[in-house]
Amino acid sequence: MLELPLVTAGETLDQFINGLTVGMVYVLLAAGLSIIFGVMDVINFAHGELLALGAYFAVAITTAGIGNFWVALLVAPLAVAIIGGAMERLTIRPLYGRDPLYHILLTFGLVLIFVDAIELIWGTQPFRPLDTGVLSGTITILGFQKTLYSYFVIVMGAVVAAGAWLVLERTRFGLVVRAGSMDRDMVRHLGIDIDRYYTLVFAFGAFLAAVGGVVFAGRQSVGPGMGGSVIIPAFIVVVLGGLGSFRGAVAGGLLVGVVQSFVRWQVPFLEGLVVFLLMIGVLLIRPQGLFGSPEWHDPGEGGELLTAAGSGVLSTRRRRLLGGGMVAVLAIAPLGIGVLYNSYVVNTIVVDILIWGLFALSLDLVMGYTGLVSLGHVLFYGLGAYATVLFAVYLLPSIWLALVAGILVAALIAWVVGYLSIRVSGVYFSMITLAFAELFASLALKMPGLRAQINPTLDSLGLPTIPPLTNGDNGIGADAITYGLTGGPEFGDVSLLGEIHLYYYVILALVVGSYLVSRRLIDAPFGSVLQAIRESEQRASFLGYDTTMYKRRAFVVSGALAGLAGGLRATQNLGRASPGFLDWLLSGEVIVMTLLGGMGTLYGPMIGAAGYLSLEELLLSNGIDQWQGVLGIVFVLFVIFVPRGIVSIPSLVKQRMDSSSEAPPEGEPAEVSD
Amino acid sequence: MSLLELADVHAGYGETEVLSGVTMDVEEGEVVTLVGRNGVGKTTTLRSIVGVVEPTGGEIRFRGEEITGSSSETVARDGIGFVPEERRVFPGLTVTENLKMGRFGGADTAHRRSVEDIWELDAFENLRERKDSRGTDLSGGEQQMLAIARALVAGADLLLLDEPTEGLAPIIVERVADLVRELNEEGITVLLVEQNVAVASALADRVYILDKGSIVYEGTPEELDADEDVRDRHLGISM
Repeated sequence: MLELPLVTAGETLDQFINGLTVGMVYVLLAAGLSIIFGVMDVINFAHGELLALGAYFAVAITTAGIGNFWVALLVAPLAVAIIGGAMERLTIRPLYGRDPLYHILLTFGLVLIFVDAIELIWGTQPFRPLDTGVLSGTITILGFQKTLYSYFVIVMGAVVAAGAWLVLERTRFGLVVRAGSMDRDMVRHLGIDIDRYYTLVFAFGAFLAAVGGVVFAGRQSVGPGMGGSVIIPAFIVVVLGGLGSFRGAVAGGLLVGVVQSFVRWQVPFLEGLVVFLLMIGVLLIRPQGLFGSPEWHDPGEGGELLTAAGSGVLSTRRRRLLGGGMVAVLAIAPLGIGVLYNSYVVNTIVVDILIWGLFALSLDLVMGYTGLVSLGHVLFYGLGAYATVLFAVYLLPSIWLALVAGILVAALIAWVVGYLSIRVSGVYFSMITLAFAELFASLALKMPGLRAQINPTLDSLGLPTIPPLTNGDNGIGADAITYGLTGGPEFGDVSLLGEIHLYYYVILALVVGSYLVSRRLIDAPFGSVLQAIRESEQRASFLGYDTTMYKRRAFVVSGALAGLAGGLRATQNLGRASPGFLDWLLSGEVIVMTLLGGMGTLYGPMIGAAGYLSLEELLLSNGIDQWQGVLGIVFVLFVIFVPRGIVSIPSLVKQRMDSSSEAPPEGEPAEVSD
Repeated sequence: MSLLELADVHAGYGETEVLSGVTMDVEEGEVVTLVGRNGVGKTTTLRSIVGVVEPTGGEIRFRGEEITGSSSETVARDGIGFVPEERRVFPGLTVTENLKMGRFGGADTAHRRSVEDIWELDAFENLRERKDSRGTDLSGGEQQMLAIARALVAGADLLLLDEPTEGLAPIIVERVADLVRELNEEGITVLLVEQNVAVASALADRVYILDKGSIVYEGTPEELDADEDVRDRHLGISM
């Protein structure tokens, strides 16, 4: 049975104070995030990195002896505000008027750059918390001793939040910002140049985040991962409170802080899960969040999703030939081992590309064809991996059936998630899918704890207990399971040329097969309806199509394919699945690949996967430690200058050449590619 | 020199051309109405003036200076006040805050008013009583009055009104019409897009009829009233 520890009023207060302290950092982070979204429709994934920069600047200021904690608290946020403003000017500004998806993509690239820049300058070793001087003393209130710093954080957070609120409510700047979040174009019609305000808003948000960072650094050590660790809770806060609502950010931040603190204290095995459950629950009941009012928020013109469909320069026939040629090259690639390259190239790089290509293909089905930007696609990939492994471990050690099990489980969960989340659209859809993915990722980590809590109860009732499903951090899998294709009961030891297993061909066949199935689906009327939904959901529904149903179906198919990719990856990973398979960064990476290649084409994302992984490999093998940063820069440039991806480059070049030889640049045949 | 001139303006959305050569002018101090059936391009005409739709051809001049393709904020700072069909009152801001927004931007023209000046006008009595109400809590008529008041605070010399009486009760329609007349008597020029023909002819000095993207008729309300053939052909109504 669950045994709740005896609680006293003092302990409760203690936890409450802890919760408020953490909550204040969330408030500072979420307030900026929310205002930036409200006014500019930009979802700033790099906001956590701005917080980290604030913390690092504070460390730098205090360790270099330039000033103490108080100086850092003033100077670091101002410096970060300047960086935030510059970020808006240089990278985000060119993207206004495009779909908010591009801001997600761009700021995701910026995260990579920031993280690497931080590592380059300050190294990967964490720094000790800041010396907060007089604040590090303790104070006893109601018989409970706490550091003065905890109270300071709460008071200061409250003061800064109140100050920000006054700026928004009482100043001309705040009024224009609020009006801008309701109806940007009308602000322009009154003769106010709102673009000028955007830089200020961004700087303002960065300032708040950096204050949070300095405050954070006074409590905890400062490491390069801190930005990534706070951004997801901050998103939850923003969505819970209502996107664009300042009051919501404050209430949501404190709520999440306090709930987290109490759950960690009373039901530790639910820590990490509860906030996601909270967010999913709130979004399902009140999609606009606690304080959000969608009728006040004007999503602007929306901007189109720039797909690469129709941007090709080749005829359908030549494309087919090219595709067939690619498959043939891949089929004979193993022959080159030992001559042109070593087995690592085929066994690792090519196989990686194939599996990631499949994953990106699955995302393209929902993102490129229906315009649903799933930020939680890693969920289906990870579930596919876990289901495949668990099936083999507990039921039958057959790779075929295990892969099928992975596909089915992923499809089933995709159906459930799709059922619950496709009712909300746009950014909310992205956020709710992210929440589901994070929920399962935490579940994978917390599973051992849950088992420890539940199994004794099940046992005492005579019910079967839950076997180890995830093994938490370690991941699950067993060396005893050898999959049929590298050696084992079904095929014997099947290796070709000594180093390539038959499994290589199985993966190749499954990936190519998945592509052909997807292509068939998209060329069928089903695919046309999906594209109609992407162009204008309203029009598609006026034509009598049940758009929600179509989107859900596409989501299930997509989930199934992602599940297959995850299953294949797990089998490649010596039959192990681990929480790393559910890391939200993988969702980001697969979105990057899809866009890099050119979404809405099916083959583009696969090319994107190849490009992304090859570049990564190239940088790594040349000993470039900052490979992530370089990838980030390449990616940011792509988002700004080549939003239709790699596959659109030939037509861009052709356009250039045509226009220099005075032919009209437009009028590419808008054929559906193959 | 006319205050506003459109010469052979072409504009559209994507590949669909909505305006195929609109030519018209508005003299200082006039009330000019633009009438026509649904979908002939009346709103698009206004939008191409205020920088929402960029004309693909032709010229737009304001006080003799070309403003073709200028941004919305530039046009507003030149003294053109746009009151769109949906009124576009800032829903989460109070009445006073909405007016302040007009004050922050706009043009310093002779007609510019302060927020206090607005409260002085009888026509805005309702607004004064609801100073602290939010935009969403106002009735349609109040929103319309607020949208016009906001344009006045922004210093509009030329008011572009897009169907200001649409969806309003008859008594409110009358109030809006009275306000437009009053403002015009003070010297504010008005270009009015109107479906309500009674209002249109009661207010207008001149009437233009737009059909399928171009101007097909120009005349005084009296002339139009007498020309049943034109009304049948281009408006499909009889007065």
